[in-house]
Amino acid sequence: MCFSEFLNSRRSDAKALVGELRKNFQYASILGSDIQSKTIRVDRNTTNISTGRDTECGFVIKLSDGKLIYEYSLDDISGNIPELAQTITDAFQMNAKLMDSAVGNLNLTDEPLVQSFRRPSDLHNYKDDELLRVCIENRDKLLNASQYILNALAVISSYEVSKLFISENRELDQHFVWINGNMIAIYKETEKLVQVYDGVYGDQMTEIISGMPALINKLLRKATILTRAKPVTPGVYDVITDPSITGLIAHEAFGHGVEMDQFVKDRALAKEYVGKYVASPICNMRDGAASVVSAGSYFFDDDGVLAGDTQIIKDGILVTGISDLSSATQLCTAPTGNGRRESSRRKSYARMTNTFFEKGTDKLEDMIASIDHGYMLFETNNGMEDPKNWAIQCVAEYGIEIKDGKLTENYISPVVMSGYVPDLLKSISMISDDFVITGSGMCGKGYKEWVRVSDGGPALKVKVKLG
Amino acid sequence: MNTIIKLLQENSNVSNYKINIHRKETCELFYIHGKLETVRRTDNCEKEVTVYVDHDDFKGDAQFFVYPSTTENQIATLISEAVKKANLINNQPYSLPQAETGEYVVSSNFSEYEATDLASMISDAVFSANTIAGASLNSVEIFINKHTETVFNSLGLHKTQTRYDAMVEAIPTFNGAKQSVELYEQYNFAEYEKEIVTAEIAGKLQEVKLRYEAITPDFPLDCKVVLNKQELSELFWNIADDLNYSSVYSHSNLRNKGDFIQEDPIGDKIGITMFGQIIGSIRSSKFDSDGLSLDSIRLVDESKVVNYYGANRYGQYLNETPTGNLRCLSVDPGSAEESAFSAEPTLEIISMSGLQVDLYSDYIGGEIRLAYYHDGNNITPVTGVSISGSLKEVLKDIRLSKTTGIFDGYCGPEKAILEHLKIF
Repeated sequence: MCFSEFLNSRRSDAKALVGELRKNFQYASILGSDIQSKTIRVDRNTTNISTGRDTECGFVIKLSDGKLIYEYSLDDISGNIPELAQTITDAFQMNAKLMDSAVGNLNLTDEPLVQSFRRPSDLHNYKDDELLRVCIENRDKLLNASQYILNALAVISSYEVSKLFISENRELDQHFVWINGNMIAIYKETEKLVQVYDGVYGDQMTEIISGMPALINKLLRKATILTRAKPVTPGVYDVITDPSITGLIAHEAFGHGVEMDQFVKDRALAKEYVGKYVASPICNMRDGAASVVSAGSYFFDDDGVLAGDTQIIKDGILVTGISDLSSATQLCTAPTGNGRRESSRRKSYARMTNTFFEKGTDKLEDMIASIDHGYMLFETNNGMEDPKNWAIQCVAEYGIEIKDGKLTENYISPVVMSGYVPDLLKSISMISDDFVITGSGMCGKGYKEWVRVSDGGPALKVKVKLG
Repeated sequence: MNTIIKLLQENSNVSNYKINIHRKETCELFYIHGKLETVRRTDNCEKEVTVYVDHDDFKGDAQFFVYPSTTENQIATLISEAVKKANLINNQPYSLPQAETGEYVVSSNFSEYEATDLASMISDAVFSANTIAGASLNSVEIFINKHTETVFNSLGLHKTQTRYDAMVEAIPTFNGAKQSVELYEQYNFAEYEKEIVTAEIAGKLQEVKLRYEAITPDFPLDCKVVLNKQELSELFWNIADDLNYSSVYSHSNLRNKGDFIQEDPIGDKIGITMFGQIIGSIRSSKFDSDGLSLDSIRLVDESKVVNYYGANRYGQYLNETPTGNLRCLSVDPGSAEESAFSAEPTLEIISMSGLQVDLYSDYIGGEIRLAYYHDGNNITPVTGVSISGSLKEVLKDIRLSKTTGIFDGYCGPEKAILEHLKIF
């Protein structure tokens, strides 16, 4: 387990290129990425060991003259450095009309720091044939677990990140790993075909391997539930959210709305609510790559800013948002370490990392007992943000009806939650004393710019529209 | 490239190989409140090598990437490692596409312009759309992409295509005495015509004004629902994905050949054809990643599933003719005249958070950001409502418009009238 040899071999080139570019630009930095991802996947009939789609190796150069930000993505920076610096500079000789409309106020900071970061993992202790055998064993156990399983998939995906950040005053590098172990069953007990999935996540392969067999019973229970599930009668209900749905609310309902590049664009209603109540007073929410170790964790962001742990909502009051270097500069605030790129080929934006509600003091059984008629919702399917107007759409995989304070055997699926974000957050009346983060998610901004995130928290009792 | 091929040929354990090269050059502009914040240029080339090893009556494969920095020794090592991985894979044998060569350009007038000039022209077209008092474009992102894609394989296949696309992400906003509102626009195109770009953005600016004026109805809405091409694209891609060879082979498909996708239809019978290219669609492609030429295939005829479609390997596994990974979908126009969409009370959906379609759970629904309620006489913009219903019920009497339009990879009816949806 070590930092990319390739990036190390380009360290001096990067420094030289920054030096050349600084002759023409007020700010220059280079982010080098070497990301190796691999997917081992087996189902009933096929096997694959493939290069994961996150795999990339390249550089992005970020420049500013104080008026505009310029970025240039390329595969390599070795060779004739002055010539490369000239090629990059020439690429931004654009028509004067475009340049005249510059936004300005883009004096990017470059505080001195030299540091290396490593998060150890046992990933390289396991060879492909061992991991393939693990997948095959789990697939076979799942296939043999029920006569109703038409197909079973077992997948191990690893993601090994090396990043190098060089500017005039900063030299940072980091290396870490994230691993997903997923299983999927295609199940047909009645006329209804269902597809269910679950996963285990972490930075140690040993834990993934030991965690996968426990998914089999969970999948079977979920398949049974989905087979029996019926549509919900649309309406407003008292609802308990499991940690996955709690995380979906944190992420979609509020997280996107506090990405501070949206503040700069006047796209976020939250900008007007800093210091005001936006949620029930028992509600606390955070985001940060340094808050927990999960899928959204790293040591420094793609702007070379150290990872943060940001309290977004404290006792129901909106404290602050999360920012990348550009939005923080324009808002005259300190960047929170949330500048993230889909890859070195894409722009950095203010993005969530690990987003969650903090745990409360209620017992889950008391929360369920407090509901005469409602539902407990389980497992994220998808969600969509609306930061300007605080509309919410979150889709849960299934729900279980609660009647007279008890969970029943009545199941609903799929379940679409919708409504107005402050109504939902202010309706939070109980928060459980447990806490789970789910580390498998991918998040887009609009419909693009996908990055790895996690979210979660405790169970919440809310009132929301289901349909 | 020659070095990679030489090393692949020198390794006697390699039964076959495929090399995919994708060079992407872009020019990107990012605006905030009409002012330029960021300019991006990219020039990246990705080379992915797939090694195939035939062993013990099985076929295995493994991939690796080659970067400009990868040395000859490293490539040789990567090939040996890929051979080892491929030997672990016990898949049914299949053959690679046979020798065929070609050099193609997917039709687009983008080739007539320098990327920076085109970006500037599109920028002008976008911002000249804003003529509505109170409306603005808070954020605009413009992406101009040129793709050069090449596929080689060891059987002599060698194809190259150049294609272009552009994407405008715009956030039209309306400000007034009340809380301002916005909509989300992602507009993809592969032919530049200033008037069309301007009209598209102007339409969204008009819609955001109406969202500002929209009310959350305090009266029950019990009427037919009209979906537009964006939501119809989502609906019909869900149906088409179910009929992909990989879905069929993995047993995750709901419908088989001979099945009907509508039960006892009393509305328009659905017809779907998959294409490799549709003029104006950003998904048009001459060949897929295996190098298979992309043509067309009728998938659903008069509501009946008549064919599957999909890539080389799974097509062979199913004893079907591989069609290639067709990325454009065409739906037959229906019988509904324009007047039918407002002749009686209807809720015409303009913008949703995202239509949710779940074939497994027989569900269609979602949250509406803007819709027009036509009561037969007047049009009232509404927001803050959701729809929900049974997909089977909806498909039974769906009525599709005679007029057609394009949205990304979808070409088909501009609108459809749906019944049996609960509005709440």
